[in-house]
Amino acid sequence: MPINIADVVNDDATLISRRAWSDPEIYELEKRGIFAKAWLFLAHESQIRESGDFVQAYMGETPIIVSRGPDGAVYANINSCSHRGLPVCRSDHGNTTKFVCPYHNWNYDVTGKLVAIPQERHVKGRPDKGKLGLKAVPRVESWNGMVFGSFDPEVESLDDYLGDMRFYLDAFFARFPQGIEFYGAPQRWKINANWKLPVENQLGDVNHGPFLHAAVIPPEANTEVFELGLSVVPKPGHGATFRLMPEDAPVESVAWGFEGLATLLGGAEVQDYLREIQARAKERVGPLRSRMKGLTYGVYPNLSFLWSNTAFKVSHPRGPGQVEYWSWSVVPADAPDDFKKIMRGNHTAFFGPGGILEQEDSEAWVQQFQGSKIDYAEDRPYFYGLGLGEEQERSDMPGLVSVTANEFYARHFFSRWRSALEAAQG
Amino acid sequence: MSDEKMQSDCYDPAKVTPALQLDVEQFYYREARLLDNRQYQTWLALCSESIHYVMPARTNPLVDNSERGNESMISIERELEGADSTGTPIRNETYPYLMLRVERSFKPNAWAENPPARTRRIVGNIEILDVQDEQLSVTSAFHLNYSRPGSDNFLYAGQRRDVLLRGEDGYKILDRVIIMDVAEIMLPTLGLFL
Repeated sequence: MPINIADVVNDDATLISRRAWSDPEIYELEKRGIFAKAWLFLAHESQIRESGDFVQAYMGETPIIVSRGPDGAVYANINSCSHRGLPVCRSDHGNTTKFVCPYHNWNYDVTGKLVAIPQERHVKGRPDKGKLGLKAVPRVESWNGMVFGSFDPEVESLDDYLGDMRFYLDAFFARFPQGIEFYGAPQRWKINANWKLPVENQLGDVNHGPFLHAAVIPPEANTEVFELGLSVVPKPGHGATFRLMPEDAPVESVAWGFEGLATLLGGAEVQDYLREIQARAKERVGPLRSRMKGLTYGVYPNLSFLWSNTAFKVSHPRGPGQVEYWSWSVVPADAPDDFKKIMRGNHTAFFGPGGILEQEDSEAWVQQFQGSKIDYAEDRPYFYGLGLGEEQERSDMPGLVSVTANEFYARHFFSRWRSALEAAQG
Repeated sequence: MSDEKMQSDCYDPAKVTPALQLDVEQFYYREARLLDNRQYQTWLALCSESIHYVMPARTNPLVDNSERGNESMISIERELEGADSTGTPIRNETYPYLMLRVERSFKPNAWAENPPARTRRIVGNIEILDVQDEQLSVTSAFHLNYSRPGSDNFLYAGQRRDVLLRGEDGYKILDRVIIMDVAEIMLPTLGLFL
């Protein structure tokens, strides 16, 4: 009997079965209904500037090589030889002219085209190499340097997919004269939890801060979240949270970067740079967005952005019970290199596998996953009803808006998730 | 510490006397005992206020074909993305960060450590590579068993590359680089004191 997804997520998504995070059958449906269909984040173009530059990525559990071709275009191919399936690239990142399978040395160029089969000179027939390249990701598109791929050739354009989420992402990207860049390789680590747990945490759950992180986050920071915090769902599945600071707020209380210990300890020059960015924010992103002091964002299904500590993250599933979490330090592209090194510290000290705050988050996700697979609690689905129906439209910003304690971001995510899984069932 | 120093494999008997070796070993044994006893405040006093505490990320770089046949081809240094790299080290901290971590450890709502983990570390291979005035370059290796209630047991293994500063009240850690011997990080946290 196939699972009835309506039993997992109820109609207004206020009750969600624990199975959503732990059931292997549901995970199989997620692969078909979400990871085979959605736009998935692959890389930032700043990581692959030159011809031959490549980085590894994943789409679900499938390994992907993202590379810059000699024609300047970005390519994304499955990292698996067409002959016997071995990965043809074993490095995390680098620059190369070819990918070679270790087993029989089939050679591919950086665009994924098969260029040599060493054995073919010993046989009479000539395989059609044009059909034997690495399997290309059928759709690859970029927005503001963010490269996404989709396995669904019919997927809507990336612009439409992101929709009004772009308004909120641009509140950050466009603050900086040359946008942002990803600083080196991501931190990556595995957590024994379901992939949706980090996603939900970053999508809008800023209200765990005062409680789970009370040992580190000062109470006044939490007051600001409660008093000035807004949660927005620009489109179901996406989310943005931020504080909308008063117009007369001092520059240091609004400017990006002043919440990070690394920039606070980083010296007057870095702080002057941050002030200068904020001083010009109004002309770059407009009066409303210049007052936004971001918290966390989510892009459906598994991309997250942590504005305050400046990391982009992807939650790669590894079965229902494990997630491989990738977390990149993000810095303004125009900043001098020594400033970038200082700024990346706002990410690494507090987040990542050794992060002062992230260790509490990982703990919560592992424990929630444990709680999601215990027996005899099927009749106690998780309650997602906080703030039901309290979200509203606003004239000055797109999407539905509410206080951060309203769990509508998660209800919208799981409604979309339910539709995607029902569609996968056919 | 430079690559060159790491690769010089003979100590200088004029500088590294048995008494000095014993002294340094005792420092590390005491440090290990303090950490495993969760005496982090006492441990913090072993750190110089100018400490630089770094755990590089460890990546899988492309093999450089021109280095084929040389030890440098597979040197550990090529895998490390540390403080000076354009990558993202796992940790890159100074004294205030360590203070914050120590402070956190003694709060009941530091949930990742409540109940606290049981750790036991064996520190060995203590090698004094160089002595310059009051600064000693020392490498050591560690194995650490980490066990947290409700979780599995984990083995942490790695190398420490330290610069110790010798003063009137003993040694202080001035620089510490921790090379973790993990390819896939499946450990519950790298935020502990190593």
